[in-house]
Amino acid sequence: MTSPFTTLLASLIRHRGVTGCMVVGEADGMIVDSSLQIGVNGDAFAALTASMYRKARRAAAAAGFGATGFFELDAEGGRMCAAGRNDLVIVVVAEPRVNVGLLRVEMLKALESFG
Amino acid sequence: MSDDIRALSETLAADPSSVVFVQLGEALRRSGQVELAWRVATRGLERHAQRADAHDLVARIAIDRGDFARARREWESVLILAPGHGGAQKGLGFVCFQQGDLDEAARYLRAALADDPRDHALAAALDTVRASQLDRRPIEEGPTVPAVVVDARTLFNEVLGDAPQTAILLDADGYVVAGQYLTADGRDLGADIGAQLSGVSDEANRAMRHLGLGRWHQIVFEAETASVAMAPSGGGVLLVAAPRSVPLGYVRRLLERSLERVQRWMGRPA
Repeated sequence: MTSPFTTLLASLIRHRGVTGCMVVGEADGMIVDSSLQIGVNGDAFAALTASMYRKARRAAAAAGFGATGFFELDAEGGRMCAAGRNDLVIVVVAEPRVNVGLLRVEMLKALESFG
Repeated sequence: MSDDIRALSETLAADPSSVVFVQLGEALRRSGQVELAWRVATRGLERHAQRADAHDLVARIAIDRGDFARARREWESVLILAPGHGGAQKGLGFVCFQQGDLDEAARYLRAALADDPRDHALAAALDTVRASQLDRRPIEEGPTVPAVVVDARTLFNEVLGDAPQTAILLDADGYVVAGQYLTADGRDLGADIGAQLSGVSDEANRAMRHLGLGRWHQIVFEAETASVAMAPSGGGVLLVAAPRSVPLGYVRRLLERSLERVQRWMGRPA
């Protein structure tokens, strides 16, 4: 089965160190489409990353910083990146070694296809 | 609206006399809905005037609204109802410091620290108050050994330079420990900005508990007009914000250098 997001997910999952990528509803944290390596708990990452992204977006707006684009969290065991537009968020789960600069550019470019 | 807030609101709607207003008010405050939190808390306080936690909540929200006088009254009420209440002592220390009452600030902070000796942010705040007290001594009463006095508000100036970026160190409750966020007309919005953004780190802590990724050590996000980087520090969180014209990699470096600055200031790993 293909979706409008199949191509962009296939492009993101090819990055070295990326273990999962998803398009997620920002409001409900539900996966719209995903490409995940075996063992990655997509539902949990989708829900929690969307929730953090939403929190950051609202906090930034309340602080007067305007709309939020790219979000990244670095943890001991890996990285989570998110970028959203029009109620959809691209979520990427990766190992610490991922080239996050390259990933960011590609995620922001992919957002343009969200209209 | 988060699920927690929705559930708490429904519980309170079903039973307006419930003490769940304390949790709801705090959740609203942390989510940045300060005016709504204020209405919930003050209405709850009318019904439960003998509850120390209700006064404590109203005091916290009063701080977010910039009403230090009301916060002081509420925390003083807390200490009448619950002598030795750590949060109230800490809050009164903060308020007294903001109002320039340094002796009272030191007294409250010492009491709070005695209550929780492991609170490093509190120890740092007490150091700041003591340093400010030294600063105010007349020359003839000055210390025999020259002390290095650092104004907490300008702690990050040497790291940030004259550029428009800013850094704020917040404690676990979202209070500003050091740093400031100055607007073009000279107003310090550090407490407001910090209160809004500290919720992001709470959300990250929650996510880390579920995802098994260990501890988070940095969050970066880009908004329309600013890039924000944050990291855990001393039980609270350190925030660096810079205009979008500043490269994201440089904002990360500023965060790392600011963490080192906190480390030196507190005399221990950040």
